[in-house]
Amino acid sequence: MKFLTKINRNYLILYFLILAGVTIVGYYILQAIILRGTKENLLSKEYLIRKQIIATGEIPNLYPIIEGQKTNDSSIIDPLFKEIEIWNELEKENEVFLEYSNEIKINDSYYLIKLRQSAFENEDLVIVLAFTLFILLLSAFLISFLVTKRMNKTVWADFEYNLQAIETFNLSENKNITLLNSNTEEFERLNRVVTNLTEKLKTDYLSLKQFTENASHEIQTPLTIALINLEEFLQLDLAPDTLKKIVISINAIKRLSTLNQSLTLLTKIENKQFISIKTLNINDIINYYIQEFAPLFETKKLKIDLIIEHDFTIKINKQLAELLITNLLSNAVNHNIPNGFIQILVKKNELKICNTGEVNSFTEENIFNRFVKGQSKSFGLGLAIVKKICETYDLEIHYFKNKLHCFTINSKS
Amino acid sequence: MKILIIEDEFDLLIAINNFLVKENFICELAENFRKADEKLSINEYDIILLDINLPDGNGLALLNTIKKRQKKAGVIIVSAKNSLDDKIRGLDLGADDYMTKPFQLSELNSRIKAVLRRKQFDGTNILTFNEISINTDSKSVTIQGKEITLTRKEYDLLLFFLINKNRVLTKEAISEHLWDDNIDLSDNFDFIYTHLNNIRRKIKLAGGTDYIKTLYGMGYKFTQR
Repeated sequence: MKFLTKINRNYLILYFLILAGVTIVGYYILQAIILRGTKENLLSKEYLIRKQIIATGEIPNLYPIIEGQKTNDSSIIDPLFKEIEIWNELEKENEVFLEYSNEIKINDSYYLIKLRQSAFENEDLVIVLAFTLFILLLSAFLISFLVTKRMNKTVWADFEYNLQAIETFNLSENKNITLLNSNTEEFERLNRVVTNLTEKLKTDYLSLKQFTENASHEIQTPLTIALINLEEFLQLDLAPDTLKKIVISINAIKRLSTLNQSLTLLTKIENKQFISIKTLNINDIINYYIQEFAPLFETKKLKIDLIIEHDFTIKINKQLAELLITNLLSNAVNHNIPNGFIQILVKKNELKICNTGEVNSFTEENIFNRFVKGQSKSFGLGLAIVKKICETYDLEIHYFKNKLHCFTINSKS
Repeated sequence: MKILIIEDEFDLLIAINNFLVKENFICELAENFRKADEKLSINEYDIILLDINLPDGNGLALLNTIKKRQKKAGVIIVSAKNSLDDKIRGLDLGADDYMTKPFQLSELNSRIKAVLRRKQFDGTNILTFNEISINTDSKSVTIQGKEITLTRKEYDLLLFFLINKNRVLTKEAISEHLWDDNIDLSDNFDFIYTHLNNIRRKIKLAGGTDYIKTLYGMGYKFTQR
């Protein structure tokens, strides 16, 4: 969840709780205040009635609001407030009233007075008041929420921009990271940390890159010298045994150089130094290399079964895409059996290459490891390179075997 | 033919020089940027072998001088870096070919001859060895005037043999010449044998002689018996 969304959500929850709490508490407070007002009102009416009885001797009667009667009963009852329901003829329903009953003594006569006031109107008033309170609070909260949200956006805008700059930062592009200055102290601190960190990363990366390239250079030149001199020996009229030893030495040097190149290549892929990326159709590459490999297939008498159901496009560096395909094809040829076959199936977002071959003990977990090789004379780096390329371009690669040895590549998108 | 070899590694410089002298080239040597620049401004060359990693400057910078003063020269860049970027940049700056170390002399020979043919310094695009003759323009092969049909790889292979005649060529050297670096052929040298058999058969069928000698455990040699 985004920081601002989270903050806003928390604000909203808090606002809602406050709103509900204040409205409920407000409701009860208002109710209590109005009840008290009603009671006072009834008591002042009692005083007026008492005065009237003293002045005129008449007992006022106005059902259901005022009820009075003379009683002989002298057992004085205490004044009492209670809620009662009275049938309202007009509205055909029971109505709640607050009733005040008291027995008063005037000139040795006892009067039972019942005064009532509709509680229903009071309730209405409380609800209206509480609702008004609710609306006022809600508008206050809404305004404050919107203003805060707006302010947060401005305050966080620079942060958002910088975050994007960090996200798109690519070491191999050899560009500096440019962050917006912020007047918020914490953000400024973060910027300083990120800038320092990327500077450090860049120097480390460059020195590693330089080391890799230098190492490659330094190794290849002496290898060339050895190779060329041995090649000249090979042209001399020497004993066949000596010549064979020279060939063995030449091949050893070549293997060493290939190993060096493959390892540098792996490092280069790992360092993401292959930057020019294009959308390529894998089918074109496969078609081209099937032609190129044709003599190899022929020599081993391999049958090629190519099914293209759909274009399979990947955003990838061309050189690496070619390497991916040639390594997989080389693998399918090198580990094949004479008179075997290779099945290639291309679907939308999937490439599957299967080949006949000897039983091996490899699993998906170890077949892509470096220096893992079967009967092959190679170094066991081909599939490690394939895996590395797949990882770099968000492709999934799997190995499985039933009767055939199969590799599948899926693009995740 | 006059060649300038620019290479900072002395032993390599000498080894290349010795080989090219045997191939009847006139060689001049430069072991650093300064000397190379000097020579380029005085003499004219047909071929310039340029190592781009020089101790006192980037060899790519020499390409400008070459462009100005050595308009006729063919340039082959030799680099320890197997870097596509460098290759593209070098070729853009006017180089004719780009070789990656380590290379073999047979391959160097083949590349130099290819550049010479392209530049038409030889004045001819026909390579002959007794009754075999290769027209490198039309990429056709005739035996005693009779044309034979070869596949692209078979043609490349025969041309490679003719250029490196009388030299022992290992299977690895041949396979490297014919194939993409990318393709891992470590287990598959049999295909060379298949190609060779096809070439032999086609040449014999046209009444030619089989000059390809198999040296067991070593490789092949194209030579007059």
